[in-house]
Amino acid sequence: MVKKSKIGKVTSTTPSVLIGGAGGFWGDRTYAPVDMLTHNDLDYITMDYLAEVTMSIMSKSYSSNPKLGWATDLERWLKKGGISLLREKGVRLVTNAGGVNPVSCAQMVLDVACSIGWTNCQVAVVTGDNVLSILHSSAKEGEQFQHMFDKSKEPLLHHDEIIAANAYLGAGPIGRSIAKGADIVITGRVADASLIVGCMLHASGWAQNAENESLPICGPIHSWSEKEEQESLDLLAGWSVAGHLIECGAQVCGGNFTNLPANIDISDISYPIAKISFDGSSIITKSKGGGIVNRASVIEQLLYEIDDPSNYITPDVIVDISMVSIEELGDNQVKVSSVSGRIPPERLKISSCYHDAYFITSQLLVPGPEPLAKAQQTDKILRKRVAHLKDIIIETEFFGAGASLPLGLRKLLDKTTNSNPREILVRWGVSSTNRQSLNVFASEIAPLVLTGPAGVSGYSARSKPRKQLAFFPTSIRREHVEEQVEITFIHTLRSEIEERYPWLKRNVTTRIDNVMMNSDSRTKLAVARVIRRRLHMPRIWKAVN
Amino acid sequence: MKSKRVYLRELAHARSGDKGDLVNIALIAHDEEAFEILKQGITTEILKSWFEGWTEGPFEIYSIESIHSLNCIIHNVLQGGGTTSRRLDAQGKALGQALLQAWIEV
Repeated sequence: MVKKSKIGKVTSTTPSVLIGGAGGFWGDRTYAPVDMLTHNDLDYITMDYLAEVTMSIMSKSYSSNPKLGWATDLERWLKKGGISLLREKGVRLVTNAGGVNPVSCAQMVLDVACSIGWTNCQVAVVTGDNVLSILHSSAKEGEQFQHMFDKSKEPLLHHDEIIAANAYLGAGPIGRSIAKGADIVITGRVADASLIVGCMLHASGWAQNAENESLPICGPIHSWSEKEEQESLDLLAGWSVAGHLIECGAQVCGGNFTNLPANIDISDISYPIAKISFDGSSIITKSKGGGIVNRASVIEQLLYEIDDPSNYITPDVIVDISMVSIEELGDNQVKVSSVSGRIPPERLKISSCYHDAYFITSQLLVPGPEPLAKAQQTDKILRKRVAHLKDIIIETEFFGAGASLPLGLRKLLDKTTNSNPREILVRWGVSSTNRQSLNVFASEIAPLVLTGPAGVSGYSARSKPRKQLAFFPTSIRREHVEEQVEITFIHTLRSEIEERYPWLKRNVTTRIDNVMMNSDSRTKLAVARVIRRRLHMPRIWKAVN
Repeated sequence: MKSKRVYLRELAHARSGDKGDLVNIALIAHDEEAFEILKQGITTEILKSWFEGWTEGPFEIYSIESIHSLNCIIHNVLQGGGTTSRRLDAQGKALGQALLQAWIEV
């Protein structure tokens, strides 16, 4: 019902909404969404591609090529059958793959849709999360942009080279995009769980209510329902928790799981599905394949990357999970309920990054006998040789000797346990504001093979300093961001032409597309004018040639 | 009564993650009895001693009774955050498993 209905009217016969979480970051298993679409009949599929630092990585690629700056893995799985599955099964896709360039990402999506003949595919793009340009204007009104957790740190605007600053948008624009008819919604930075909450805003009919009454697209979304305010907030909290549980992909299905049962194979691990109800509860389960969803795996993910459990802040609602109920139903199904919500804060979180320093890493293998002593000696020799570099900070780690343990605990365990490593991997992480100092440091690694303790090896190419970005969380008043948030439906010239002239050969539309992508603006304008106004084929052809 | 050592891995399972320069380590007790021991044993003082040399804190511990869990928050532990940490485990993802190797006296 929910799936077929374009306007998202929900009837009482709809028990729950099926939403898949087919990826946890850009770099997760590329084709997991294709698997998930193949094996399930979902209402929505969501993909979270943006970790805290992903936007700054994308900003770098965008500045080198204005067509990039989005998660290119999306194109790979859409082209490998994903787009056909979305169309055939009527599943809506909601993803933040747009990164810092959601419009280019959405154009790619529409292009892939057109390539299978889905020329009327409705691709909506949500923009407005980029707040770089409004940081300075807000500063004039006295905004400090202090660090969110550590007020003793220098405010953001005191740093010279701010690479990216994006506000975490909420679910509102996503729900409204689907209510307006989107098959696919591409966003930049939105809060991870909001991808899922956005689907629910549509499935519950709230977004349609707001659409009918022309309410602002960013909300407050709890006022979009006809329910009492507290009930609406509790529902949003429940949906947010379901979203939080599936937005890290297979991490709730046995990935990164402490007590993975010995009989569970995770080589073909499956990704999670939330069956979300209109009472705010949800059942977390998984797609076909390996892995496990049980009480323990759900609790591990529930507490992942949160601080105060009674105050989990999203742009949509403040969630309280301190009384949460987790109930194992068997057969990889776990019911989550009893969470409550409060009105969301007046400020939206911003993730920003500035260029901080340069960074290199190097590592060497130090074999036994007495590998730790030899590794420590190697480190001592190296530090003496670079002692003249006054502007570097060196972190040395001895892997095999407890480097993954916090220092105090490591010392405690060293006193009581007798571990004799066979070899040590020694790793240096070095940062400096001076790139040249790092080059000098790097040049001292290889010589250790011939001029250090016996058996030292594993040297590879001299490492090159790379820019290090400091992550800076801060916040901004909602209205400053929300007034610039927009929903745009993508219509490439190509999709318009293909929709209008379905008999036109694909090489012709490709040619038009190429002209539009690669010509100077005058030619583009001329072609567009001819096509849009005259729609006269011989002239189009001439213009393209 | 003589106290005895109990390893955290006997009491709980764990997952850790980062947010800016803080790491949260969820310790999820195997049962109610283990949860009571965990609540007694896991204090901000003991976290401070384990993280000595890495951070001065602050440390916070939240207890979630309905799921027998403690959420331990370790501030200022990632050398500025996941992007600026010079350590290989820049995001503290290994720290949950690290704590399971620790013990408390009961």
